[in-house]
Amino acid sequence: MKFINLVLKSAKRSKRRTLLTVMSVAIAVFLFASLRAVLDGFNAGAEASSSTRIVTIRSTSLIFSMPTSHAEAIKSTPGVQDITWANWFGGIYKDPQNFFANFAVEPESYLRMYPEIVLTPEERKAFLDDRTACIVGDGLAKRFGFKVGDKITLQVGIPIYGTQDYDFTVRGIYTSAGAAVDNQSMMFHWKYVDERSLVKGQVGWYVMQVAHPDQATQVSMAIDQKFANSPNETKTDTEKAFQSSFVSMFGNLNLLLGSIALAVVITTLFVAGNTMAMSVRERTTEIAVMRTLGFPSLTIFLLIAGEGLIMSIVGGIVGVTLARVVVNPDVIPTGGFIPVFGVNNTNLVTALALSALIGALAGLIPATMASRLKIVDALRRVA
Amino acid sequence: MALIELRDVTKSYKRDSMEIPVLDRVTISVPAGEYLGLMGPSGSGKSTLLNLLAGIDRPTRGSIRIGDTETTSLSERVLAGWRARHIGFIFQLYNLIPVLTAFENVELPLLLTNLSKKQRREHVMTALNIVALSDRAQHYPRQLSGGQEQRVAIARAIVTDPTLLLADEPTGDLDAKSAAEVLTLLQRLNQEYKKTIVMVTHDPHAAERATRVLHLEKGTLVEQVVSRA
Repeated sequence: MKFINLVLKSAKRSKRRTLLTVMSVAIAVFLFASLRAVLDGFNAGAEASSSTRIVTIRSTSLIFSMPTSHAEAIKSTPGVQDITWANWFGGIYKDPQNFFANFAVEPESYLRMYPEIVLTPEERKAFLDDRTACIVGDGLAKRFGFKVGDKITLQVGIPIYGTQDYDFTVRGIYTSAGAAVDNQSMMFHWKYVDERSLVKGQVGWYVMQVAHPDQATQVSMAIDQKFANSPNETKTDTEKAFQSSFVSMFGNLNLLLGSIALAVVITTLFVAGNTMAMSVRERTTEIAVMRTLGFPSLTIFLLIAGEGLIMSIVGGIVGVTLARVVVNPDVIPTGGFIPVFGVNNTNLVTALALSALIGALAGLIPATMASRLKIVDALRRVA
Repeated sequence: MALIELRDVTKSYKRDSMEIPVLDRVTISVPAGEYLGLMGPSGSGKSTLLNLLAGIDRPTRGSIRIGDTETTSLSERVLAGWRARHIGFIFQLYNLIPVLTAFENVELPLLLTNLSKKQRREHVMTALNIVALSDRAQHYPRQLSGGQEQRVAIARAIVTDPTLLLADEPTGDLDAKSAAEVLTLLQRLNQEYKKTIVMVTHDPHAAERATRVLHLEKGTLVEQVVSRA
């Protein structure tokens, strides 16, 4: 501890350089934590998915719909206990920049099959009783200040739903009891939308309840078999696979975001290492003087390495703090695309450990250089 | 028994395939409490001799014994510890750490000891009192004059109460008044505190303060001036 003052004073020698080094580590750690948070958020939805819910979409793509007539055929498949359906509405609230997910759902069965959507009994009843009712997640309500009883008008985002705006009344504000359902979405009656739709009786995806996870594969195959060689062939999978395929629409996010994070971290490592090496070169005489005073090589090594470590950890703390504040649905609305959005504790610890690793590696070469300095040569360089 | 015993110390540097001799079979004996001046032209090997005494360089051949320790046989790690306990080094360019205050600069060698913070503080203030700079304890080197900086460097050299003080041209970068103050201080350390001092200097006035002066030329001891003590 008695050397800490020495390390801190050395770090403060060139305040601007130290600040820039700290900030470069902070930005790297911020980016790492943020990108990880995005990946974790996407994966959290898939991880939290029910293992007894399976989803049927058109075999060609999620963007193509299926007829409602599929519902009866699916329901009669052995192993299917319950069924509901939904459509991606893609409505626009005032401005396209106010994006949030909004679905037309079959209300009664949807609420039954998604117990993660938590409403009071009064809100539930009010939602079911009113054809133009909608429910919004508490995150979305907070973002736009929606209250029960408010009127929300959505412009049509997908031409198939007509040209006129849709008016809704907020009948409930739900909270989410699991990552499978985010709190940034809006849901309303499928029938209300279907009535005004240019093509009637179309469903985006069906969700079925099976009794046991082991049945999921068998039931999925049976459903798809029913519609094989029909104009509306289906693809049925677990909810987890459905969520993952939704994420994969954006490409290989893991690889893309992981590569960006790695590139940033490696660049920062070189920047920090170079800065430390410059700092040590400037202090050649001082280090030689300290060695003359009797400072052992190991102590010199630890002082220089410690300086790099402290700068890097401070940068790490700044970076994760920034990430905690910024990576937040209240600051960056995800519109329900990322079910869980935030820097979790594991991510935080990993990012801090990463900053320590950057500091340790960046300080390694300069610290070795300093500890191996030949005193007489170093003194002669200046004298 | 002499405090310093150098026997047939030879030092040469290799440059490419050439061997450049710096010291040639130098033998010196310095009793405890002596104030020895080393004079000679540039390149005569004075500073090299001082570096060998300080244990920051090693001789090519020969023996160096300081007190009970044959320093040439010590490992780098042990030698560093030995330096911390037994050597106080004063540089021509003071070599204070610019980001540390006078107090912190003087405290630096004590960080290697087991002294408590309070004990370190007492030692530092004692050393600063000796060099008459206790009122400048919280000043940074840039806030001090050259003479004051050198006095802080002397305080740093004496704070561990070392066996031997080595000074390499301690007045070489100072004006006449500051140089005189520093020389008086070194003389006081020798006479009042019985410190053994070896001082390298070009300046005959500085050398006059020493109790004995040796001349080096081309790495060889050429003349021994009779002690004034």
